[in-house]
Amino acid sequence: MRIRVAGLVAGLAASLAYSTSAFAQELTIFWAEWDPANYLQELVNEYEAETGVKVTVETTPWQDFQTKAFTEFNAQGSAYDMVVGDSQWLGAASEAGHYVDLTEFFNKHNLGEVMAPATVKYYAEYPSGSGKFWAIPAEGDAVGWSYRKDWFEDPKEMEAFKAKYGYDLAPPKTWAEMRDIAEFFHRPDQNRYGIAIYTDNSYDGLVMGVENAIFSYGGELGDYATYEVDGIINSEENVKALEMYRELYGFTPPGWAKTFFVENNQAITENLAAMSMNYFAFFPALVNEASNPNAKSTGFFANPAGPGGAQFAALGGQGISVISYSENQEEAMKFLEWFIKDETQKRWAELGGYTASAKVLESPEFQNATPYNKAFYETMFKVKDFWATPEYAELLIQMNQRSYPYVTAGEGSAKEALDALAADWKATFEKYDRYKQ
Amino acid sequence: MATLAMTTLDPQSRAARRGWSDLTIRNAFIIPTIVFLIVFNIFPLLYSLGYSFTDFRASTNAPANFVGLANYRALLNDPFIWSNFAITAKYVIVSVTGQVVVGFGVAMLLNRTIPFKGLITTLLLLPMMLSMAVVGLFWKLLYDPSFGIINYALGLGRFEWLSDPDMALYAVAITDIWMWSPFVMLLSLAGLSAVPKHLYEAAAIDRAGTFYTFFRITLPLVAPILMIAIIFRTMEAFKTFDLAFILTSQPSAELISIRLYKMAFQEWQTGMSSALAYIMLIMVVGITNIYVKYLNKVKER
Amino acid sequence: MAAVKTTSEVTLNRLAVVAVLIITIIFLAPIYWITATAFKPRNLATTIPPTVVFEPEISPFVKLFLRRSQLREQPTAEEYAEAPWWERLVFDGGEKIVRDGKGNVQLSGYPSRFMNSLIVAISSTVLAVGMGTLTAYGFSRFKVAGEQDWLFFILSTRMLPPVVVAIPMFLMYRWFGLNDTHLGLIILYTAFNLSFSVWLMKGFIDEIPKEYEEAALVDGYTRMEAFFKIVLPEAATGIAATAVFCFLIAWNEYAFALIMTRRDAQTAPPFIPSQVGSGLPDWTVIAAGTFLFLIPVAIFTFLLRNHLLRGMSFGAIRK
Repeated sequence: MRIRVAGLVAGLAASLAYSTSAFAQELTIFWAEWDPANYLQELVNEYEAETGVKVTVETTPWQDFQTKAFTEFNAQGSAYDMVVGDSQWLGAASEAGHYVDLTEFFNKHNLGEVMAPATVKYYAEYPSGSGKFWAIPAEGDAVGWSYRKDWFEDPKEMEAFKAKYGYDLAPPKTWAEMRDIAEFFHRPDQNRYGIAIYTDNSYDGLVMGVENAIFSYGGELGDYATYEVDGIINSEENVKALEMYRELYGFTPPGWAKTFFVENNQAITENLAAMSMNYFAFFPALVNEASNPNAKSTGFFANPAGPGGAQFAALGGQGISVISYSENQEEAMKFLEWFIKDETQKRWAELGGYTASAKVLESPEFQNATPYNKAFYETMFKVKDFWATPEYAELLIQMNQRSYPYVTAGEGSAKEALDALAADWKATFEKYDRYKQ
Repeated sequence: MATLAMTTLDPQSRAARRGWSDLTIRNAFIIPTIVFLIVFNIFPLLYSLGYSFTDFRASTNAPANFVGLANYRALLNDPFIWSNFAITAKYVIVSVTGQVVVGFGVAMLLNRTIPFKGLITTLLLLPMMLSMAVVGLFWKLLYDPSFGIINYALGLGRFEWLSDPDMALYAVAITDIWMWSPFVMLLSLAGLSAVPKHLYEAAAIDRAGTFYTFFRITLPLVAPILMIAIIFRTMEAFKTFDLAFILTSQPSAELISIRLYKMAFQEWQTGMSSALAYIMLIMVVGITNIYVKYLNKVKER
Repeated sequence: MAAVKTTSEVTLNRLAVVAVLIITIIFLAPIYWITATAFKPRNLATTIPPTVVFEPEISPFVKLFLRRSQLREQPTAEEYAEAPWWERLVFDGGEKIVRDGKGNVQLSGYPSRFMNSLIVAISSTVLAVGMGTLTAYGFSRFKVAGEQDWLFFILSTRMLPPVVVAIPMFLMYRWFGLNDTHLGLIILYTAFNLSFSVWLMKGFIDEIPKEYEEAALVDGYTRMEAFFKIVLPEAATGIAATAVFCFLIAWNEYAFALIMTRRDAQTAPPFIPSQVGSGLPDWTVIAAGTFLFLIPVAIFTFLLRNHLLRGMSFGAIRK
């Protein structure tokens, strides 16, 4: 009897030891539920094959990703070792101590130069210009455009367009051209419409769309170092940009007032629009014939330039951070060392991930791999982003409240909307004592 | 009016000696539930009441500062919040009225000899068996001006149900009515089938008109259960979130729960959102209290 | 006179039957549409006019159960030939199955979440109805100081928007270690449904004549015996009706399922609408998930339909 008990205890101890050691060999990465997360799973399978460390990518639906991540951070739970988090979270997550400071790691591997500079600035650094880094750029992303090549290249259309506007019908180089093309293809009686843009104000859809116009018109949202907003967010350029966005709204398909990446991809697959704004991350679905009947005739272009020649795009995408409450931080750092290697980044791009590695982005293999990679490469060197302060969500909601009624219903004027927004933002920054610093 | 206590057991009887006393049974039956509800409801409630006087943010670990009534003051001075409340009131009235009219109407129709009544009733209950999020998602597709089947079926062309500021709230209410009329129908049906037949016969002998029979016999007798249905539907309609959030983003259809959700889980203003929740709670308790008083009055008749 | 009345009655009844049919068709149209979509090929899901005649497909259900991602390169003819039939269906849809490090096929979240939903919904329904019945009996048969206030308190637990209790609940659950456990969700849903259950059951039990129990007591039953042998059977229909509602609510709950669970106890409602991973929704898969998820509640309700009708009328009207 005693022997049996002893044996049992030994067995239990052994299995415990085994399970703890097995635990140490496992890492969990938290991300949203979308294809890039599946590609990342494939990539980390290779890490497991190399090192024996099992890495799991756990996902949650996009609409709840932010809520879930922060609930988990706040609980200081150790369920996740790393998170591939939105750029806007940097302020909130770093100030609250949820993210591990990666500055040393960053400098040691000279990531400031390995990764495309804009991605470093927006995915990794907080506060702006401080030289402190909290994430490794992982999934680069920005807004680009898809368009119907068959509509654009139809000789009859080309002729009619030239006759009407005096220049050749081609993917637009400027927002003014884009407006003309949208107007040209906007034919409600034929169930064809000009353009699909973001208008969803439930989170950051509409704001991302408007940003594309603002940045290319040479405007800014504010001074990210001093929190100065008056005269910047409501500058003349921004007023013009918002007016342009409102004008484009007039050329959208019917009911285009709560639209984000899903609806904009559908605008192409359902033959609704000539051009459609979307994140590059969602373009693979458009070149896949099973999901897009028009795959063969779908083309892509980068966000066009504004009247002053400036050309920028709104940033999407995420960096990967180590969570402070993880019990496997050392393992996580080892994983990151592997992740930033050139070969890994190259493989990441092959699997479908959008690498931020400057070297890979510049390589011709990458640029020719898909119909949209070239536009992606061009865009990733000229992206700008929203505020990343901890109160970014309040700023976002205020921007929705002020700009949505103007863009979709023509209430008030662009100037009024942006003036009111400047006042809202100023009050919010005052509330958080941002001007004392 | 309330149930009277039963005649107690004779303490000398055999049964009384064998089993638990009435008092023990009463306590054993009621106390666990009350304690359970207190732990899982009152505790979080007190917690959020505490938060509502602070600037706490659940997204950080920074200590909360006591700010007194500042949150309440800020909320009651925010014009956006007031408009959210007005929208919610309109929504509750439209949606609950619609559900009562449709639900009660269908129940009146079904309260006859109808072939396959059981099957039809069960089929009519299907809408409320779906989850709100799924209903929202599919109705968004049904309402779509370009490839939705509602416009196609009704021949409405490109009517913009969800992006017309004047229509959006009604479109959400229509979906809610579709989903929850069956609930009102079920309760009304129950009420109707309990109206003693001899009352109708008596009314028929007196040559009472249809209207008279309905308002003097049917309605008063069905009223109590209809009130219960209305109480629960009002409470739920007031809290409507998933459905409206998924269907539309018109400011004219931004219900108070949506604003609350954004404040609590996007902006992470935990303190402020707790205060808003309390304002909402006070309103719902007030409204429900009126209903319950009325319900008791109806029952007494 | 009487004959005239009967004729108009008959006409009226016919009209009622027609009206009921029309209403039923209107109410069921969206459900039919979801069900039809669950068996459609993907390219027919959003056609206008809607496709009514089509060859039903099983592929939406296959996809629903597998973790998939967009194909970036077409499979070679050899790979395609070697693949089992279900993998070919996925290939045909322009996707491939995601595998883990050892090459094992990964399942989607659906099957495990479906099981979790079953466990959580059934257990919490049993608990809520059980406790609700006892409490309702207590309130119905015994004198309780401040009865109306207690009952209002019980009702009031349904009034607070769930969004707000979520944060304190989450913190409290962390303290108890209940996050991401079946038990945690079961307790939560029991707490949700108790108020409804107590209120409904009190209505039913109030209607059971006290004389029944009193007779039993005179016969030498204890109060408990009388409760189990006399009251419970009488209240069976009411219990069935209450159970249907509690089950429905627990089965479809969304907000807490999302916040309180991670991977072990996650239920299906948050998963079903999330099939937009590639930036294009596959309506057929969403519909398949919805359809399968509807079946258990529909069956449950159908089985209890007679109880449901009789049960509701039982508690409805006070004499």
